[in-house]
Amino acid sequence: MIEVESLTKRYGRVLAVDDLSFRVEPGTITGFLGPNGAGKSTTLRSVLGLVHPDAGRTTVLGVPYRELDRPLHSVGAVLEASEVHPGRSGRNHLRVLAAAAGIPRSRVAEVLSLVELTKASKRRVKGYSLGMRQRLGLACALLGDPDVLVLDEPANGLDPAGIRWLRDFLRSLAAEGRSILLSSHVLSEVAQTVDRVVIIHHGKLVQQAPIAEVLAGAHGATRVRSPDARRLTDLLSAQGIAVTELAERTLAVEAAPEAVGELAAANGIVLHELGVERATLEEVFFELTRGETTE
Amino acid sequence: MSALVHSELLKIRTTRSWWAYLVALVLLTGAGVAGEIGSAGSADRSTLGFQEGLVETVGVAVILAVILGITIVTTEFRHGTVTPTFLAAPHRERVMAAKSAASVVVATGFALLSLAVVAAVALPWLAIVDAQTHLGDGELWTRAAQQILAAALWALMGVAVGAVVHSQVAALVGTLVWIFLGETLLLGLLGLLDAEGVAAYLPFRALDAADGTGGDDLQSYGPGVAVAIGWIALLGALGTGRTRRRDIS
Repeated sequence: MIEVESLTKRYGRVLAVDDLSFRVEPGTITGFLGPNGAGKSTTLRSVLGLVHPDAGRTTVLGVPYRELDRPLHSVGAVLEASEVHPGRSGRNHLRVLAAAAGIPRSRVAEVLSLVELTKASKRRVKGYSLGMRQRLGLACALLGDPDVLVLDEPANGLDPAGIRWLRDFLRSLAAEGRSILLSSHVLSEVAQTVDRVVIIHHGKLVQQAPIAEVLAGAHGATRVRSPDARRLTDLLSAQGIAVTELAERTLAVEAAPEAVGELAAANGIVLHELGVERATLEEVFFELTRGETTE
Repeated sequence: MSALVHSELLKIRTTRSWWAYLVALVLLTGAGVAGEIGSAGSADRSTLGFQEGLVETVGVAVILAVILGITIVTTEFRHGTVTPTFLAAPHRERVMAAKSAASVVVATGFALLSLAVVAAVALPWLAIVDAQTHLGDGELWTRAAQQILAAALWALMGVAVGAVVHSQVAALVGTLVWIFLGETLLLGLLGLLDAEGVAAYLPFRALDAADGTGGDDLQSYGPGVAVAIGWIALLGALGTGRTRRRDIS
């Protein structure tokens, strides 16, 4: 669907994307993740033919974007929300694009109602809120009823209600069988929406895998609270198990709860709490991207 | 290609500056013609030369045409609309060609509207003061046609300049300073070097000859148009190359 092969892009001295390769499988929602400045936008803009890579190539539906016969009918993109003339109405902005792509004018009204922007469509974009601009961007992307959608940080600047609306909207688009590539610097923002993730950092691939695998791969810890935390720490350490103190008399232990409970029982240590400390998504993300920085 | 031209025309018509262009065109042309007739002696008003001068008031459309040409390219970079534009039409040279075509259409419209204003002010006025008109004279119509062509050429030059200099302010200010100051200074310099002949080949001196007004033009009409087209082709090719290579990020 989307394929990136050995993509490299340099801006002056800054290496924005460094020999990056990944694929977006058809019919999935893929989260494209990385901290700010990881090279996500540059990669997406290369895929869309807006940025010229220094090396490597990108294809959409098997061909470079520029060779797509009717690009807006194949790929819809939502990049920055501000890429609209402030003096033009939302509806006219869509009409201009529809005209360029040979899309009938009636489609403009359809996409406006799809993103729930019909009422404001005759107003000039200058007066739109950020959420309305994002929805106008989505309407643009949907003009050609494309099979592939590319969205760059679509949740940026949206309020919680807006993010929720966006999530539901993207799910309904995916349910129609579209493939979606969605970038974000906040993993939790997309974790409920995506099937797969591609994680990059400093322009390099860190991981590409199903989201479930990424979460499973993150080893959780056992949380244990005991009045005799010090002795328990010594016993665990003696077995080579890593222990960190979370709070007073509360430990995070890098071992299964069963092992911790049995060791405590064998040594007559009273436990007040024993449970699994699941790594949060952000911790997983941080862990994965931190590994890259310390190289 | 016609879809892209249609899109470009729609872009021009869907912002408020479109109305500003039309209002400026009508008011400036109207004021220009009224000033010419009002300040002329009654004997002058009946001469062909004077009435040719009235047609040359369409020069307002020529200046607005070059501003429009620059703006329809640079506004895309100013507001970032170049991103959706190039997503819809990834072959950027086609977008530049569509902008050129649209600018010619609009510039021609500007010149025609300006001519209509000249006629609407001058014909009744000249009739009232019993001046003899030269509407049957081919010279007057040739002058009008040359004004229309000049507006189209200046618009194309504007598009070419905008394609080279993507910053709106730099392109607009730079062009106006170049027209009114740069070439005049160069003219003086070339005079000192005893090379005035070269001055005729400066881009806007050549374009100046293309409106057929004669007077202080350095070029005669035909060569002037040819040199102007040469400059447009050169800057257009440079600008298209630059626009194609640019990373839209």
